[in-house]
Amino acid sequence: MTPFLALVRKELTVLFGSPVAYLTLTMVGLITALVYFDHLRVYNQILFLYSTTTMGGFDTATIPPYVNLRDQVFLPVMEQLALMLIGLVPLATMRVFSEERANGTDELLLSTQLSPNQIVLGKFCSTILFVGLMLAVSFVYPATSLLTAQLGLRHLVSVYVGLFALGVALGSIGLICSAFSKSQLVAAISAYAVAFVLYDFTWTSDFVGETVVEFLDALSLHQRFGGFAEGLVSLADLAYFAGITLVAMSLARLSLELTRVR
Amino acid sequence: MRELAFAGLVTIGFGLGAYYATDELGRFTLANLFAGAALLSVALVGGSRRLRRGLGAPASRRVLLPRLFAIAAALLVAVALERAASWSKVQFDLTAARQFDLSSATRAALAELPAPLTATLYYDEGDPRVRHTRVLLETIAQAGDVRVRERRMDDAVLEVERFDLAASNSIVLELADRFEIVERPTEGSFLEGLLRLEQNASGVLYVARGEGEANFRSTGELGFSGLASALQLQGYRLRDLVLASVDAIPEEASAVLLVAPRRALRPESIDALRAYLEGGGSLVALLEPGPVTGVEALLGEFGFGLSDGLVVDPASGPVAGARPGVNPLVESYADHAVTRGLDATRMALFLTARPVSAVRKPERDDELRDLVFTSPGAWLASNVEAVLRGFAPERREGELERRYPLVSVGRYPRGEVEARIVVFGDSDFASNQYLRALYNMDLMLNAAKWASHRDVEASLLPKPWTPDQRPLTPQQTLEMLYAVGLLLPELLLIGGGVIWLRRRSA
Repeated sequence: MTPFLALVRKELTVLFGSPVAYLTLTMVGLITALVYFDHLRVYNQILFLYSTTTMGGFDTATIPPYVNLRDQVFLPVMEQLALMLIGLVPLATMRVFSEERANGTDELLLSTQLSPNQIVLGKFCSTILFVGLMLAVSFVYPATSLLTAQLGLRHLVSVYVGLFALGVALGSIGLICSAFSKSQLVAAISAYAVAFVLYDFTWTSDFVGETVVEFLDALSLHQRFGGFAEGLVSLADLAYFAGITLVAMSLARLSLELTRVR
Repeated sequence: MRELAFAGLVTIGFGLGAYYATDELGRFTLANLFAGAALLSVALVGGSRRLRRGLGAPASRRVLLPRLFAIAAALLVAVALERAASWSKVQFDLTAARQFDLSSATRAALAELPAPLTATLYYDEGDPRVRHTRVLLETIAQAGDVRVRERRMDDAVLEVERFDLAASNSIVLELADRFEIVERPTEGSFLEGLLRLEQNASGVLYVARGEGEANFRSTGELGFSGLASALQLQGYRLRDLVLASVDAIPEEASAVLLVAPRRALRPESIDALRAYLEGGGSLVALLEPGPVTGVEALLGEFGFGLSDGLVVDPASGPVAGARPGVNPLVESYADHAVTRGLDATRMALFLTARPVSAVRKPERDDELRDLVFTSPGAWLASNVEAVLRGFAPERREGELERRYPLVSVGRYPRGEVEARIVVFGDSDFASNQYLRALYNMDLMLNAAKWASHRDVEASLLPKPWTPDQRPLTPQQTLEMLYAVGLLLPELLLIGGGVIWLRRRSA
């Protein structure tokens, strides 16, 4: 096993050696289930209202087009899943560098055969694998709905490509915050803060001009994720998420260099 | 410094949270935002001083300066990547109905914009439909000179009053000094608004009347008001032509539409049509099986053969109350401007149709072609009247199965002018009930455009999206929750807990 793979394995072993990983995965599954169930229930109630007012049983002709599984169930749930990722990914990333730094093992890590780039990449890969696992857990329930409602696999793929890209970007943000802090709590809170600020800039429209709003919109995680949720996979959006990851990794690398020179 | 930064982040977080919750800049929000900004600034200044002290040593500078350059380079690469990807406009529409693949008609309309178009989306906070509209507008903006803006209705009361907007999720299209409102935006409604704004002048179509022809004003299922609207949207002006009272077709006519005449036309009317065509006019004839109107003989002079049978095709559309086989679902097209964009995946539905074929060319330079065909298993029923009354079609003795053409065209160059004729063996396919079915409207509009010598390079129209509105029963919903939604997290928690406890005890 190469040192790089050994590092990834060690990261995953440490992650799953603590209850945080299982709790996070359980939370993902549970939140998805409850949010999904609630939307399905409300959707059924709306359909029931329409079907009773027509007096002739269920009649699709009288239901407005926007009352459908995609708009009433699938898209809102995916929106909430995106918010859930913001809430849970920092829990998984907070310890990645902070723990090493707090325990003093970061210097040990730097003295191995691994280059700083490999260290950053190894920790990044383990984070991404965990994000992938989270999304796999959250996928099961919508997939059941997909089979029942025949929504279309292509659309679901688009949504999960978007969620994965968002998860990778959030994971990268979490890594930087963890890399610059010794405290896991500070790492998590700062990751939340950065993610929430980057998530949506529409609130700034009250204070700044239209051009600035357009610029900030282009930087917004929410705006970029919106296309995927609608079933549109855009190369520009993927490049945006990849760009966040690239910058985050080079910042994490800087943090390692700072540790080295200290 | 870290403590200051931490406190600053928490304070800003509370400030933003309060703003989100109350939607106003109260004292609490402002105090938190200012305090947070101040704390972060102090932390940043302190941090930068420490960094400068750290960078003071030559060894540190040697290591860290290249890293700072690497970060700047990574930032540049990221921005360049995003810009290049954005410029390439590559995107994949993974929706089930390909809702964001713009039709060729929309692309053509955007390409022909005489001036930049401004599309402003007016919405209420929390309206779930807005996101779809937003993505649609972004897609449209990539295909043409379109500037997209967004306005919350609460923040733009004057504009809402000016445009008389009734509901959230409305788009106002502005082109020069004109505007159009698009409510419940879809690609189709956007295109309609755009065409109304562009007001392209396409010509004058004369609609024949007086011999029982189809009614272009009737909005009922059997009427043709939908076709009239669609033609007007394409820039045509429609004028009535009472054949019984005219001796000549007006010269301004780009084409004459003759849709389902029920009675025989006067000889003078036929003469007028003949003279018009010989002078380079154009005719689009939609002829039902059954009536003998005299038009058949006129079309015969121009090389068309119209059988008096009714096509029965195993590839038939299921229409309520109709006998099986009498509504051909066609998917076989010859390559021609009238059928441009149509292929085996873009079918058209005909209803009780008669075969039409190009038989012979009146002159050497003329060009006649059959364009739209039934399946090879089609045959002709002889009892047309009975089938139209609902009886089963009867097969003529010795009648073979073969492909029957249902649409034929002819062009007749005569010196500097060129007459054009399109003949359909059916008219119901363009009625209000069936015009928007499958690709019927595309076929009909292509025919009108070709006959009136207009470009039909890009004319496929956007198709409406049919949402999935089937309910899940309460039982299904509960079963899904128990079987998948709750069981999976439960198992994860138990499994994870057991592994963790074992590791801990080991």
